[in-house]
Amino acid sequence: MAASAADIRSALSLPEPNGSSSTGYSAPKKHVSAATRKPDGISRELYSLIGPSAPSLAAQFAKPRLKQKPHFSGGASKVKWELRPFKNGARQDKLELRHWEKVTTEPTSDYPFAKYNIQSTSYTYSQDEYTRFLEDKEWTKDETDYLFNIVKEYDTRWYIIHDRYEYPGGPSRSMEDMKDRYYSVCRKLVRNRPWAGDEASRSQLMSSFQFDKDREVTRKKYILSLENRTPEQIAEEEALYIEVKRLEQTERKFKKERENLLRTLAGIDSGLPDIVEDDGALAGITSEVSGSVSTNAVTNKKKRKVGQVTDLDSPATPTAATAPATTKRPKTPSFDPHLCIIRVEVPSSGVATKAAHQPAYLRSFKLPTPKAAIAPKVTQALAELGISHNRLVMPTRETTANLEALLDATTALVDTKRAVERVEYEIQVLKDRLALREQNQSGDVDGSQAGADAEGENDDGEDGRAQSVVSVRSARGRKHQRRSVSISSVDTVSTRANMKRQKRS
Amino acid sequence: MVNYGGDEVSALVVDIGSSSLRAGYAGDDTPKAIIPTSYGFQNNPPDSDFVMGDGAENAEAQQKKSKFAKIYVGQNGPSIWREGMEVGNPLSEGLIQDFNPIPPLIDHAISKIMRCDTSEHPILLTEPAWNTPANRERMAEIMFEEFKVPAFYIANTGVLNAFAAGKGTALVIDVGSTMASVTPVVDGFVLRKGLMYSALPKLVQAHSRHLLALPTSNRPGINLTPHQLIANKEPVDAGALPKFTLREERLQGTTASWRNWAESREVDEWIQSVVGVTDQGWNDQVVAQRPSRHYEFPTGYNYYFGAERYYTGEQFFHHSASLIQSNPSLPRTIPALISDALRACDPELRGVLMGNVVLTGGGTLLSGFADRLSTELLRTFPHAKVHAPGNPIERRYGGWLGGSILASLGTFHQLWISREEWQEHGKAIVGQRCK
Repeated sequence: MAASAADIRSALSLPEPNGSSSTGYSAPKKHVSAATRKPDGISRELYSLIGPSAPSLAAQFAKPRLKQKPHFSGGASKVKWELRPFKNGARQDKLELRHWEKVTTEPTSDYPFAKYNIQSTSYTYSQDEYTRFLEDKEWTKDETDYLFNIVKEYDTRWYIIHDRYEYPGGPSRSMEDMKDRYYSVCRKLVRNRPWAGDEASRSQLMSSFQFDKDREVTRKKYILSLENRTPEQIAEEEALYIEVKRLEQTERKFKKERENLLRTLAGIDSGLPDIVEDDGALAGITSEVSGSVSTNAVTNKKKRKVGQVTDLDSPATPTAATAPATTKRPKTPSFDPHLCIIRVEVPSSGVATKAAHQPAYLRSFKLPTPKAAIAPKVTQALAELGISHNRLVMPTRETTANLEALLDATTALVDTKRAVERVEYEIQVLKDRLALREQNQSGDVDGSQAGADAEGENDDGEDGRAQSVVSVRSARGRKHQRRSVSISSVDTVSTRANMKRQKRS
Repeated sequence: MVNYGGDEVSALVVDIGSSSLRAGYAGDDTPKAIIPTSYGFQNNPPDSDFVMGDGAENAEAQQKKSKFAKIYVGQNGPSIWREGMEVGNPLSEGLIQDFNPIPPLIDHAISKIMRCDTSEHPILLTEPAWNTPANRERMAEIMFEEFKVPAFYIANTGVLNAFAAGKGTALVIDVGSTMASVTPVVDGFVLRKGLMYSALPKLVQAHSRHLLALPTSNRPGINLTPHQLIANKEPVDAGALPKFTLREERLQGTTASWRNWAESREVDEWIQSVVGVTDQGWNDQVVAQRPSRHYEFPTGYNYYFGAERYYTGEQFFHHSASLIQSNPSLPRTIPALISDALRACDPELRGVLMGNVVLTGGGTLLSGFADRLSTELLRTFPHAKVHAPGNPIERRYGGWLGGSILASLGTFHQLWISREEWQEHGKAIVGQRCK
């Protein structure tokens, strides 16, 4: 929105320059100035009554205007085009075609489409190279030259090359023959010529020229045989396929039924791979173990399971159960050191329920912590030694065990220290008392007894008095209660009793 | 502009077919000038200062071509009866056999209808895939020497039809007015070994003509006299004998070639408006159930054509055993052409080609043709996909449309054979450049 000069003038309440034809947003202002004259369609009397202060009316009597034309180009000037001759850089001749161009564009600039004229790299060879590396009893040099020319002409579009290939006097060549010859020549040239770049790019180029003729021929033969099937053959194939699927399905069904039967009859002793122990934690994992697991693994597993039958109460630890199931490795304990597996006996905390099952966890999550009561002291003690116990750089099993031992030791140390302090304090107190008694024995005996018993006996006395007071009060309260129950609710009774109690106290 | 890859150099595209010649600006979606390829001519003018007040006649061509005393081209060419006028067609089996009328035809389309100066516009011409090198060189010679074009290119209709469908690789099935062809196109090149064509539409036309002229149990044989020879006629009921009077004064001056041309045009019109194809293969009961279609001939004879119209359409897909016995050298049907074309292609390509079948040509506009083709293809190739433009202009002038697209591409302008190259290299440049 561009502010016109008239807008700025109206904002600063400057006078309108006389005779200037303002445009745009100054239009309403013009109407106001026009309204000072008597507009058409209003009688003189009415106008004198309402005066010039009727902008809404005045606006209605303004002359109708045409809608402003939209500026599509955002106010920019018209774009000029001109018919210009141009030369195409991709052409060898001097053909000049003409096309329309914006006047603003550079006339000497290159033709924008010339850059799409890309040439594929083509290989050429000298007579010397041909005689040294490229001799082939199937191909003459002339025909090889012809092949290379046609490959260059059609940019290695092999279907077209095969279609257009007409070497006079030569044998008929299949597409594989041509490809084989072309790529083998290219490979030989790359291999035998000095190579400027590194070896990797060279081998990459070599591999791009790789062509296995026999394989291609076989592949084509397969495609052909696939196409040449008669409808009967296709139908038969279809029927056979369905038959195989059906057989597989029945087999699977039979196997499943057999397993079910075995499981019911023999239970765990049946040696089936997916028999679950009653904790059920392994069900999901072991059922995924397919039949492709080697029989060795299955028997190993069986052994382990059978061995575990005796102590069913303790479920297998996560490390022992999950790791072998997923990695499908032999899992006898004899392999453990080799596989760095350490079997930890989970402390049998009584019943083996599902809740007691311990999922896999990170060792660092389960670092031992000192008891809350003495934690600050333990921390302090360790801090004195310069050890931070709550963050281990490498929480291996040994480190954790060491840390646990350290913490235990520290806790014991702290405990011992506290016990020592307490005992020392008691000794001190008793020593003091002994000294006092020895002192008092020489002075007033009664006074000393009262002072010595101040802690224990005095308290007892107070308690006894307080109790008696309460009992008396409650007896009185009970009387009130009994009287007032008939009158009102319990709440009021209690409050009243309280008030009375307050009054009394 | 660069975004769309287009760059207009005001090139013209000329597509010469057996029935019509199409010309227009490259970049347009419809040709500007569509004129019949057939032309009328008079060998021995009855009067030396005989002047036809006809815009179609070409005085220039008359002077150049001594063979024709007069030549009549364009919309008012052969279709207007003239005494002693013969009608000829330069094309036979899709190839230009007679180059004499070609310059007048092109000149009429470009200079008279489009009002263009050929020396200012590069011209892209089309050729059928089975065109001979001699033919295209002659064409280039005509364009450079007679029309003085600055640049010239000749492109294959099969490739152009594939381009019009937006495909670089396609199996183009083109059914024109005289030839049916199946062209495998790979990466914008025709596989010449896989190219198959036959004069099937010509057979269908001859068969229709025979069918109409032959009296059946329900109707008499139909008189195909064109309206130019009929003075007046009366409306009659369907199937009733026509009541008309001939222009007796014209019968004397009517040539056999004109009569033949006019009658075959009537047959063509009947085929275009009545003939249909059963979309699920031939079935007598289905055909009997189909509604019949009404058609009136210039004589005023009109009739409801029932099963007959499907007999004709069926010829594109199947030849009856009796027909094969009577004529062993029948042109191949379209399914036969397709299977022959595929057999000649690499087995690897067959799947790709069948997934990109392009149906084009005015002959494929018969009702049910595309559906029938699709059914036939799906029977052997479950993944076949037929691209058949619904717009009749696109279907009929697919070759021209592809040329219009090609000649308006910025990257194409390096392929033009320029006048300079023509002068330098001569005829050999045509074969080199237009692969």
